[in-house]
Amino acid sequence: MVAIAALLAVTLLGALGTFLVDDRHAAKFATAVSAVPLLGSVLMYYVYLTEYGGVGNALLAPGDIAFRQAVDWIELSGFTLQYSVGLDGVSMPLLTLTAVLTTLALVSSWTPIDERQSQFYGLMLLMEASLIGVFAALDFFLWFVFWEGVLIPMYLLIGVWGGPRRKYAAIKFFVYTNAASLVMFVGFFALVFSLGDSISTLGLPEIAQALRAGGALSPLAGISVDQLKLLAFVAMFFGFAVKVPVFPLHTWLPDAHVEAPTPVSVMLAGVLLKMGTYALLRFNFTMLSDVATGAVLAIMPVAIAAIGVFSVIYGAMLALAQRDLKRIVAYSSISSMGYVILGLVAFTPYGVGGATFQMIAHGLISGLMFMAVGVIYNETHTRMVGDMSGLADRMPWTVGIFVSAAFGYMGLPLMAGFAGELFIFLGSFGATETIGALAPLLTSVAMFGIVIVAGYLLWAMQKTLFGSYELETDYEINGAPFHDVAPLAVLLLLVIVLGVNPDLSFRMIQQAVNPILDVGGGI
Amino acid sequence: MAGAFDFAPAIALLPFVSFLVALFAGQYLPKRGALAGIAATAGSFLLSAWVAITVAGGETYNEALYTFTAGLDAFELHLGLLIDPLTALMLLIVTLISLLVHVFSLGYMNDEGETGLPRYYAGLGLFTASMLAFVYSDNILMAFMFFELVGLCSYLLIGFHFREKAPPSAAKKAFLVTRFGDYFFLIGVVAIFVTFAGATRTPGAFAGEGSFPVLAEHALADGATEGLNTLGFEPDTWFTILGLLVLGGVMGKSAQFPLHTWLPDAMEGPTPVSALIHAATMVAAGVYLVARMYGFYALSPTALAIVALIGGFTALFAATMGVVKQELKQVLAYSTISQYGYMMLALGSGGYIAAVFHLTTHAVFKALLFLGAGSVIIAMHHEENMWEMGGLKDKMPVTYWSFLSGSLALAGIVPFAGFWSKDEVLFEALIHGFGSEGGLGTAFLLAYAMGLLAVFFTGFYTFRMVFLTFHGEPRTETARKPHGVRWNVKGPLAVLGVLAAIVGFINMAPVRQLTGAHIDFLHTWLNGPEEGGWPAELSTGLHHYEEVLHDFGLVSASYPLGGETGTLLVSAALSLGLALAGVLAARSLYAVPEPVEHTDELGSIKTLLMHNYYQDEYQVWLATGVTYPIARAADKFDQGVVDGVVNGISSVSLFTGSRVRRIQTGVVSNYAAFITIALVVLLVVFGVAGGWF
Amino acid sequence: MIPTQYYLLLSAAIFCIGVFGVLTRRNALIFLMSVELILNAANINLVAFSFQHGNLSGQVFSLFTMGIAAAEVAVGLGIVLVLYRNFSDVDITEATTMRW
Repeated sequence: MVAIAALLAVTLLGALGTFLVDDRHAAKFATAVSAVPLLGSVLMYYVYLTEYGGVGNALLAPGDIAFRQAVDWIELSGFTLQYSVGLDGVSMPLLTLTAVLTTLALVSSWTPIDERQSQFYGLMLLMEASLIGVFAALDFFLWFVFWEGVLIPMYLLIGVWGGPRRKYAAIKFFVYTNAASLVMFVGFFALVFSLGDSISTLGLPEIAQALRAGGALSPLAGISVDQLKLLAFVAMFFGFAVKVPVFPLHTWLPDAHVEAPTPVSVMLAGVLLKMGTYALLRFNFTMLSDVATGAVLAIMPVAIAAIGVFSVIYGAMLALAQRDLKRIVAYSSISSMGYVILGLVAFTPYGVGGATFQMIAHGLISGLMFMAVGVIYNETHTRMVGDMSGLADRMPWTVGIFVSAAFGYMGLPLMAGFAGELFIFLGSFGATETIGALAPLLTSVAMFGIVIVAGYLLWAMQKTLFGSYELETDYEINGAPFHDVAPLAVLLLLVIVLGVNPDLSFRMIQQAVNPILDVGGGI
Repeated sequence: MAGAFDFAPAIALLPFVSFLVALFAGQYLPKRGALAGIAATAGSFLLSAWVAITVAGGETYNEALYTFTAGLDAFELHLGLLIDPLTALMLLIVTLISLLVHVFSLGYMNDEGETGLPRYYAGLGLFTASMLAFVYSDNILMAFMFFELVGLCSYLLIGFHFREKAPPSAAKKAFLVTRFGDYFFLIGVVAIFVTFAGATRTPGAFAGEGSFPVLAEHALADGATEGLNTLGFEPDTWFTILGLLVLGGVMGKSAQFPLHTWLPDAMEGPTPVSALIHAATMVAAGVYLVARMYGFYALSPTALAIVALIGGFTALFAATMGVVKQELKQVLAYSTISQYGYMMLALGSGGYIAAVFHLTTHAVFKALLFLGAGSVIIAMHHEENMWEMGGLKDKMPVTYWSFLSGSLALAGIVPFAGFWSKDEVLFEALIHGFGSEGGLGTAFLLAYAMGLLAVFFTGFYTFRMVFLTFHGEPRTETARKPHGVRWNVKGPLAVLGVLAAIVGFINMAPVRQLTGAHIDFLHTWLNGPEEGGWPAELSTGLHHYEEVLHDFGLVSASYPLGGETGTLLVSAALSLGLALAGVLAARSLYAVPEPVEHTDELGSIKTLLMHNYYQDEYQVWLATGVTYPIARAADKFDQGVVDGVVNGISSVSLFTGSRVRRIQTGVVSNYAAFITIALVVLLVVFGVAGGWF
Repeated sequence: MIPTQYYLLLSAAIFCIGVFGVLTRRNALIFLMSVELILNAANINLVAFSFQHGNLSGQVFSLFTMGIAAAEVAVGLGIVLVLYRNFSDVDITEATTMRW
C-alpha cells in the first residue's frame, strides 16, 4: 500500500511548491494542497473503518497493520534501517486529526498572516508532512527523523511570525524539546544495544515484541536488566513528558503559545502535544509495560499518576491566574493533558483507550479554542481580558462558537471532551491493580479540574464576551469574515459528532489499545 | 403496532428540533421561533399524555436505545429510556409547564420588544429537551449527561440579557455552583460504574434486573457481593458514600444548603425562564434524581438522615430569608429553595409519595407564581420592588385571582394544592421520626420540627408578598396606571390558577383516612399492582421502596397521637394552624392602606437576613479570597521557581560562555602559545603515563 | 652514514626556533616565516624516517607538504596584505576585532 507514501510525497512536494509560489497566491495554493492529505486521510479513515474492522495494535501484531509498507533503506552492520509505515487504531485518528487541523489552520491563517506568506505556508505543509510521518512511521530511525523534523518548521514559524518575544520563545521551545529528545534517544538506544543480536532492524514492532517477550534483554555495561529497563523508561518518559508537557517540564509551552501566531498555536496544541502522549503510549506503555505497571518498581505507576493529577490541578490553577486569553488556553492544555497521563498509567481498557480518545478530543477542542481566541484577536488586536468587554454584541456568531467551545473544554456531555474525560475517569477510578489503593482518591482529585476549568473559562467569558461593549483599542470591530468563522464551525461540528458518537474513533482505539493491556507485565 | 413508547424519544426530540429551528431559522420566522417551540412542547405534551395513559394501562418501558460506546473488553455505556409511572408523571409536568412558559413568553418577551429572541427560544427548546431526556434516562450516566446540559441551558438563559452587568455574573455563578455539586455527582457516577461493572452488563441502570439499586439491595440482603468492587469498604458504608456523592449534584441543582446561593441570583434571567427553571426543570431535576434512584437511597439510614436534615434545614433557613426580601422574584426564589427543602425532607424521611406529590403541586403553583410575578412585572414596566407596587388587585383581576390561588397553595391553606402535599410531607416525617430507632428517628424529628416551623414563615412571606403587591393603595405612579397584559399572559395564568386549586385532589390522604374512599390516586399510580406487573419488573414501585426502607433504611412508622387517624388530623391541624397564623400575621402587618417595613424591628437579625446569613459572602470569599490567591501564588511559583530554574540554566550557560570566551583574545600569538602549552602538557602526560621517564 | 637521531635533533631545533618565532614576534611576515620553519621541521622528519625505513612514502609526503606550504604562503601573504590594508600595519596583536 503506497497510501501513506503518497500522502507524504504530496505534502512534501506541496510544501516545496509553496516555497516557490508568489506570496499573493501562497495561501490558496497551500490550502488546496492540504486538501489532498485531508481527503486522503478521511478516505483512509473510511477504508479503515470498513475494511480493517478488526485491526489490532501495530506494534504487537504486525500482521494487523493497515496501509503497511516496508522497504529496506539503509544497511548497517547488524541493523537494517527501513522505510516502514503503517497505521492502527491509535495512529489512524491522530493522522486524520493532523490533516484536518492543518487544513483548518491554513484557512485560519488567511487573515493574520500578511508577510512572507509563501514561506509560512510552505513551513506549515512541511510540518504536516513531518507529523504524518511521526504517526505513521514504524521504524525508529524513520520515526526519529520525522520527530525531529517537526521541530524545525515549528521553530521557524514561532521565531519568524511570532509576537514580540518570539526569539526567546522559539529558542526555548527548540532547546527544551531537543534536549529532551536527546535523553529519550539515549534511553531508547540503551534498550536497543541491550537487545543485541535479537533484533535485526530498528522496526518498532520488532523491538516492542522482543521487549515484551522478555528474556531478550541482556545486562549492559554492568547494569542489570531491571535497572536498565527502569532507566530507559525514566529517560524516555522524561523525553516525551516535555512534549506533553507535564509538570515541571511545561514552561516552554505558555511562552511558545503566547508568541506563536494563531494557526501555529492550533497546530502546537492540537497535534504537537499529542506527539508526546502518542510516543509515551508507543514506547513507555507498550514496550516497557512491565515498568509502567509497577512490576519492576512498585511506586512507578503511583508516581506517574500523581504527576498527571498534579499537572491537571496545577495547570488549571495557573490558568485561573492568567489575564491573557491565549495563556489561559495554553495553561489549560497542561491541565487536559494531565488527564491523558492519568488514563495511560491506569492501564485499563477505559483508561488507555480514554487517554487516546482524549488526545483526539483535546486536539479538536484546544484547536477550536485557539482559533476562536485568534479570531477575536484578529478583530480587536488584543487578547487581554481587561481590555475588552461585551464582544457578543458585535460578533455574535464568533462568540456563540466561542461559548460552545468553552463548554466543550469544560467537558460538557455530548461533546468530545466529556467522552474522553469520562472514559479516563472510568478507567482510572478502579485501577487499583496499577495505581494501587490511591486510585479512587487521585482520580477524584483530578476530577476537580472540571470545576476549576469552569471557573476560569466562565470568568474570562463574562469579562470579555458579555457586559456592555467596550474596547480599549481604537479598532472598529464588526463580525469576523466568513473564512475565519467557518473553520471554527467545522471543528465545533466535529467535536459534537465525536461527543455524540465516540465509537467513531473509540472502537478502533480500543481494538488497538487492548492488546497492550492483555500481555502487560504486571497484569 | 407502534405504541406510545415507540414515539417516546420524540418527547425530547421535538423540543430539540425547535431548538435547532429557533437557532438557525428563528430570525426569519414570524414569532422568532416561539411558534416552533409552542408546537414542539404541545406535541411533547400530547405524547406524554399518551405515554401516561399507556402507563396507566400497566405497561412500562425500560430499553437501551443508543450505544454510546460498546466498550470493548469492558462494560458498555448506552443511552436509553426508562418509563414508569414516576417518569410519566414528570414528563407531563415538564411538558405542560414548558408549553405554558412558551405561550407566556409571547407576552413577556415578544410583546415587550426584546431582542435576541431566536436565542431565547433556542435556549428554551434545548432546556426542555435536556430536562425531558434527563427525566426518562434509564441509567445514571445518561442522567448525568443531561443534568449537565440542563446546567448549560440555565447558563444561557439566566445570562440572556448579556449586555447588562448582573445577568452574565449570575449565569456564571449558577453554572459554577451547580458544577461544584456535579463534581461530586460525577465521582458518584464513575464510582457506581466501577463498583457494579463486575456484576452486571448495565452497571448504571436505574431499574430492573442488573440495575445498581437492585444489586446493592442483594448485596446487603444476601451478601451477594460477588463481582462488586467496593474498593475495600464494607458494602453498606460504600453505598452510603455513593449515595452522598450523588447527593452533591442534587444539592447543587436543587439549591439545597449550602449550594443554594446561585438560585436567588438566577432571578436575573427573564421571568418565564425563572418559572421554567424553578418549577419544572433544573431545580426539580435534583429532587427527581433522588426519587428516581430511591431504591438506592432507601438502603442507607445515614444517607436518609442526611437528606432529611438538609431538606428540613433548607426549608426553614430559606423561608426565614424570604421574610425580608423586597423584590417580588426574590421572595419567590427563597420560597423555591424552601419548598425543595420540603421535598428533600420527605425523601429523607421515607415519604416517597409525599415528595413526588409535593414536586407535582409545587411545579404547578410555583410556575403559576412566577408567571404571575411576570405579569405584574410587565404591568409595572419591569419594576420588581414590592414597595413600589400596591393595589394592583383591581387593575389586573386575572393575575390577582390566579396569583392568590398559587399563594394559597404555597402557604398550604386547605383545600389548595400545597396543603395536601405539604401536610403529607410533614406527616411522613412525623410518623417516621417517632417510629424509627435511635439517631435516625431523632434526625427525622429534628427535620420535622424545622419543616413545621418553616410553615409559619411560608404563610407569612407569601401573604406579605400578596398584600404588598395587590392590596392597599398604589404606592407609585406606575402602580396606578399599570401596563395591560394580553391573552398570552392571562391564558397560562388561568390554566395554572385552576390547577393550583385542584391538583391537590390527586392524593387526599387525610380524606381517604377519614372516609375510606380510595381517592389517593397518586398513591395508587406509584404503587402499581400489588403482585407482578411493572413493580416486580423494574423494582421502582412504592411497595418495594417501603420494604427496602423498612428492612435496610431502618425506617418504620408509629402513630404517637391517637392512632393513625388521630396523628394525621393533629399533624394536619398543626401545619394548617401555623400556616394560617403566618397568613394572619402578614395580614395584620401589611394588609393596611399604607404598609411600612417592619423589618427594622428585627434589629441585627434583619441585617443577617438581608445578607442571606452571609452565605454569598463566604462563598465569594472562597473563590476570590482563597482560590484566586492560591492561583496567583501558583503562577508566581511557576514563573519564579519552575521557569526560573529553566531560565537559570540558560543564564548559567550564557554566563559561563561569556567568561570562557575571554580566552579568545584575538591575538594570534596567544593562540599559538595555547597550542604550544597544550602540546607540552600532552607530551608530559603521555610521557608520565607511558613510562618514558 | 649519518644516524637518524641527528636529523631528528635538527628537526627539533628548527621546530623550536619556529615556535619561538611564533610566540614572540609580532610582525606578521616573521610570523609566516616561523610557520614555514615549523612546517619544514616536519618535512625533515618525514624524509629522515623515510630514509631510515627505506620507504619512499615519507619523501612523497614531504613533496606534498612543500606544495601545501607554497599554497599556504600564498594565502598567508594574502592575509598579511589584507591586514596591512585594514590596520595600516602588519603587527598581529593589533588585529583583534574578530575575537567575540
